[in-house]
Amino acid sequence: MTVTAVLRGWRAARVTPLGELHTPPRMTAALLRLTVQVVLVASLWQGLYAATGTTAGLSEDQAVTYAVLAVLAIRIRELDQYAGRDTVLQHMHFGTIVYWYLRPLPPQRYYAFRALGEQLYGLVWVIAGYAICLAAGVVDPPKSAAVAGVFAVSAFLGQWVLYYVMLAIDQLCFWTLRNGAAMLILIFAQNLLSGVYAPLWFFPDWFITLSGFLPFQATLSVPLSLYVGRIELSDAGPQLAVQAAWVVALALLTRLLWRRAARRVISQGG
Amino acid sequence: MSGSIEVRGLSRTFHTTVRRPGFGGALRSLVNPERVAKDAVSDITFDVSPGELLALLGPNGAGKSTTIKMLTGILTPTSGEARVAGVVPYEERERNARNIGAVFGQRTQLWWDLPVRESFSILRDIYDVPEAEHRVRLREFDELLDLSSFWDTRVRHLSLGQRVRSDLAAALLHDPPVVFLDEPTIGMDVVVKEQVREFLRYQVEERGRTVLLTTHDMTEVERLAERVVLINHGRLVLDGTLDEIRRKFGSTWQVRVTLSDPHAPVEPLPGIALVRREGPQAVFGPDGPTAPTMHQALKQVIERYEVTDIALDEADLEDVMRAAYVQAGGE
Repeated sequence: MTVTAVLRGWRAARVTPLGELHTPPRMTAALLRLTVQVVLVASLWQGLYAATGTTAGLSEDQAVTYAVLAVLAIRIRELDQYAGRDTVLQHMHFGTIVYWYLRPLPPQRYYAFRALGEQLYGLVWVIAGYAICLAAGVVDPPKSAAVAGVFAVSAFLGQWVLYYVMLAIDQLCFWTLRNGAAMLILIFAQNLLSGVYAPLWFFPDWFITLSGFLPFQATLSVPLSLYVGRIELSDAGPQLAVQAAWVVALALLTRLLWRRAARRVISQGG
Repeated sequence: MSGSIEVRGLSRTFHTTVRRPGFGGALRSLVNPERVAKDAVSDITFDVSPGELLALLGPNGAGKSTTIKMLTGILTPTSGEARVAGVVPYEERERNARNIGAVFGQRTQLWWDLPVRESFSILRDIYDVPEAEHRVRLREFDELLDLSSFWDTRVRHLSLGQRVRSDLAAALLHDPPVVFLDEPTIGMDVVVKEQVREFLRYQVEERGRTVLLTTHDMTEVERLAERVVLINHGRLVLDGTLDEIRRKFGSTWQVRVTLSDPHAPVEPLPGIALVRREGPQAVFGPDGPTAPTMHQALKQVIERYEVTDIALDEADLEDVMRAAYVQAGGE
């Protein structure tokens, strides 16, 4: 990769984080929301486990760690693009999407660079939140260096899957002009099926099996289950393989959609 | 690099679904959709020379934006071909992107949450502009557009005029030989409009850029363009100078003279009709399609008659274009 390509990527990656840094109230609101969510979620799971020992294969410490890490993780992609008028939906609505096609940087690469910047910026928040929670004893550390390593690989693949899921939803705008409903369904499905609302282990077997056919549990549930030890290291291989398979499948799908989307840009507006 | 634009037989057909009225109609459209073809642009041919500013005019829905989209590479034509600075835009989008700059009305390409200068830096890196060159160009644009008074402000806080000036600068930061401007001054106040016009004139005359401009503002056309291409219903109606357009559609000038001899006989001149005669006052107007321009007519009148006073009336370009649109619409 040339210096120029790195510079291009760096600038595009900075767009959303820089917009956040220029808007301190948004950062304050995010900090407050995250703090309240972590406190409430930790209290909820501690309360639920007050009268019981191990449930759904998870101890209290495992369940609290899983739930708090899930809350922290959603911060990675929960940036306020809408306020910055930088969602694909808004670019379609305002007609500014044409500029993505008038630059020597292809739209798919610009989108990828921008998303990478967002995810790295979100990761800084997650690491800071994780360090505080770890110091406060709210979450447990990984059981071993091997667990930490496998978790890191799985979390990376999970974010990659999440990137493609978000991209596919954004690409819907090229056909529907509005993806508000799709986004609402996605957010609900993502939170439910990835284990943000509650670890998937608490759901009936048929639900877990069904969600296995969708990419959502590959985003969060798999890495968090590896972290808390609900999935043993010996079973990590197939799980990582499934995550990688989702990455490949969604990469192919979104690549095809980008190609078709280019033909749609022109028909939206004069 | 030559900034010419060559357009040959360019056509674009869109296929849309007919939406039938009423509940039953909507249901029928759902079950058995009827697709119709609409020619947005049909067999258009024209050239723009390097360093020329051409106004592409036409009423709303005439096909101007579709034409620009094909020339910027966003849209592939159904037939015909186009070359912009030697590149077929829809075949080599990325290469074409380096040769062109574009502003689409009030649609900004700047990043809403970032200061203007930050947007410029992103574009500098996207277009691989060397830092020294970028600084020189920013200084030049600042002198012409007074950007430094607001370039540290976030785009969301800019006035429309400031934003369009920033967008113009953003479109030219990579020094493109060809610039497409789709109604760049729409909604702006007269002072900013004039500043933008000065900027464009400078870019054409001093920097030799080729500019293709669409606008509904005839003052802008008069001040900036020597040549005009008029399209309507997707078809090219006229390609010529402003004088030619006036001659064809706006022959509504009048030359009013006061003769020194109130009894002198007055007769029509070639292409010039005597509209009215009242004592020493005589009013001349154009006669037929070969009528001269108002200034040529004036010359002929004062060469032929002794006059003590002269008054000229000419339809402004707005009237001329109105006539052109009406006539073109009827053809």
